[in-house]
Amino acid sequence: MHRDLVLMLLADARLPVAGHTQSGTLEPAVRDGLGADGVPAYARSRLRTVTTVEAAAAVVARHLVLGRGAADLEDLEEAWEARSPSAPLREASRRQGRALLRLARRTWPGAVALDALPPAPPRALVLGAVAASLELDAAGLARLVGYDDVQTVCAASLKLLPLDPTVVTGWVAALLPDVEALTASVSHLTDVDDLPAPGSPLIEAWAQAHAVTSRRLFHA
Amino acid sequence: MPEFPSAHAPRRALRLGVCGPVGTGKSSLIALLCRELSGRLEVGVVTNDIYTDEDARFLRASGVLEVDRIRAVETGACPHTAIRDDITANTLAIEELEEDYRHRLDLVLIESGGDNLTATFSPALVDVQVFVLDVAGGGDVARKGGPGIERADLLVVNKTDLGPHVGVEVPRMLADARLARGERPVIGLSRTDRDSIDQLLTWLEGRRSSYLAGDLVPSDPGPMASHSHGHDHTHEDEPVGAHHH
Repeated sequence: MHRDLVLMLLADARLPVAGHTQSGTLEPAVRDGLGADGVPAYARSRLRTVTTVEAAAAVVARHLVLGRGAADLEDLEEAWEARSPSAPLREASRRQGRALLRLARRTWPGAVALDALPPAPPRALVLGAVAASLELDAAGLARLVGYDDVQTVCAASLKLLPLDPTVVTGWVAALLPDVEALTASVSHLTDVDDLPAPGSPLIEAWAQAHAVTSRRLFHA
Repeated sequence: MPEFPSAHAPRRALRLGVCGPVGTGKSSLIALLCRELSGRLEVGVVTNDIYTDEDARFLRASGVLEVDRIRAVETGACPHTAIRDDITANTLAIEELEEDYRHRLDLVLIESGGDNLTATFSPALVDVQVFVLDVAGGGDVARKGGPGIERADLLVVNKTDLGPHVGVEVPRMLADARLARGERPVIGLSRTDRDSIDQLLTWLEGRRSSYLAGDLVPSDPGPMASHSHGHDHTHEDEPVGAHHH
């Protein structure tokens, strides 16, 4: 399999992993007053904070899986939890991880690297194991995480705010250099102790508020 | 290892989908089934609300089932997607319910996000599906047809007691529905009509027996309208693309 094609498959919104249920915490942000003008900056802020943690955790997971470091994966999971203080976001990540793992096991039954994952793994760890199984490199994996997050936020904005989709695609295109910057900042990581720990308290507060509202379009 | 169903897998619950337009009484129908069945079957519910958890809260508040047995799935404003082309969120919710109840559930009811006349469940998500209309939606809805009305495993015409109040001739609406569906069953339902409730329970027991016997094959009502020439055959046995009109 050509790596580019595998990446396209994994980045495709049509991949059946319930991507349509996720807004990247945009829904509570909009409820709190974020307007369309603020969406690109919001997506950029995510790339520098929560998405950096996700991409870094995925990259390190890939490295550990390739080195058969199953025990270290538990340390990585703990490190990821410590950097993901919002319980609803951790739960959402595990739900997405389960969806991806389910799909990956059925699609690539020979991917034994997936067996190294701990129970109820967060999505970043599943992505890392999938990347290891499918011979994706660290940079490709980091790009996948960053690009997917930008598309998740921008696609959700089309549901939440009245926007011309060509404008939104322009936002995604304009954010691609930021995805590349994220990629450059995490793809070399191999050690759990080097996992970056940027804070994003407003995103976490929004996620907490979203989890208890009775009106939700998106799961998180 | 692949997770394909195998002889080793615990037998899972029968999955019954309930779909149909907003306000036709899907939640009430599910509450009715829970009330009637939860004494003798292990039941779970997954709701797909469009923008609130109203349906899940309605069911929890109705006290017909333990609160934990009722799970809500958010669909990201994509209620069709969640029951049709990417059923993952629903599949995971059902699997979690079954795991939480140690694979002892007999029946899982899945309520679609009430949307419109065209939404039906994928046969990959449910074993059998009910499409719900109500007389208050107008007597001509059944005649207009659509995939769910024509080809869901069961069509329920709900709230038949309201017929006189909304100017709908219920027998005529039922006759239209039967005409649209050929051999497939139609039940005119009212919570004040015990006989109609028993018809529903008898139908469901029949589907459950068939499922337990291993001969229930989930069928797809399809996303499209029926052929305009109105005959009743299906094309399931033909190779893809072989049939031309």
